[in-house]
Amino acid sequence: MTYKTAMLGALLLSSVFNCAHAKELNFGTQVQPELLTPVSTIMASPQQYVDKPITIKGTIVKVCTKRGCWMNIASDKRFETLRIKVKDGVMVFPVSAKGREAIATGTLQALKFNLERTREIKAYYAKEEGESFDPASVTEPMTMYQLVPTGVSILD
Amino acid sequence: MTNWLTKIRFINQLSQLKQVNWYRLNRNLHRDVGYFCIGFTLIFAISGIAVNHVADWNPNYAMTQVNLEVDDNSWTDLSDAAIAQLMLQRHQLTQEVKSTFWQNKHQFDVFLEGGSTLSWNRRAHQVSYLHVEPRVLLQALNKLHLNETRNAWVYFSDLFAAMLIFLALSALFMVKGKHGLKQPKPIILMSLGFIIPIYFLFTAQ
Repeated sequence: MTYKTAMLGALLLSSVFNCAHAKELNFGTQVQPELLTPVSTIMASPQQYVDKPITIKGTIVKVCTKRGCWMNIASDKRFETLRIKVKDGVMVFPVSAKGREAIATGTLQALKFNLERTREIKAYYAKEEGESFDPASVTEPMTMYQLVPTGVSILD
Repeated sequence: MTNWLTKIRFINQLSQLKQVNWYRLNRNLHRDVGYFCIGFTLIFAISGIAVNHVADWNPNYAMTQVNLEVDDNSWTDLSDAAIAQLMLQRHQLTQEVKSTFWQNKHQFDVFLEGGSTLSWNRRAHQVSYLHVEPRVLLQALNKLHLNETRNAWVYFSDLFAAMLIFLALSALFMVKGKHGLKQPKPIILMSLGFIIPIYFLFTAQ
């Protein structure tokens, strides 16, 4: 392999890596700031926002480490978050985005679970938080909400 | 007259085509397309193995966690910023704090530059440091494999797929004689290439 060929290869590889470390990251279509709604307002009455276009803004507090297919956005209310979820590969959120501000436009989706699945999910969360859990304490199925984004901006 | 001339030209072209050594042309094309595909194949094969085992292994990041027991009795009276500084001190870290968040009343997270996180577990009196290190090369290969770059890469991927089809079909006419296509061994090997995927298709639940 000649010197020039090696340099060309290195240049191509470095351009790929440079793309991966861009400062402000944008995914999908442009976000619509005019639709901005506080997460706490959405979560107070989520049914009102289901299937409607909304924009949320907040700190990224969790990211899917394996596929980068979801992020949890902190609400303006304590302990509250809203998940942004995409199909695998549609957008890939980097783990390094944790702690940065994100703004996302999309539609709110309601996920309805039966009682058995509700108990499994609540048991999982209880285990994650180190709390004891009694399946019998859950008597009603639950609905979870997530934002399916069309555009996301991870701010610098 | 012109009609006759056209027919003669056509017959000439046909005879020229007959003179082409198709066997050699196929081998040469197979060889050159093969060379061109080496880079593409390595990208897709290496990241394919990595992504295939995503349930057991993180192909994009190397993550290490260090847990430290802490005497945190006095921490509850402090501000979030002060708690974050104490957590950094315990782990002897000098990284910049990006932001903090209470995941719940028992867990306080401090986000550091680069994606690493410090977590204070109030119940366990423990501060965990989750260090995240991107697997730069694999991450780049996965990015290409999963088509995150979009744009022109879509067309290159299609071109690669077309070249793989060509390589597969041209391979049928590469060898003559006792190792040729009509012998039992190639037929068995080729059949296995279809039977194995079909078996998994029918046995998959």
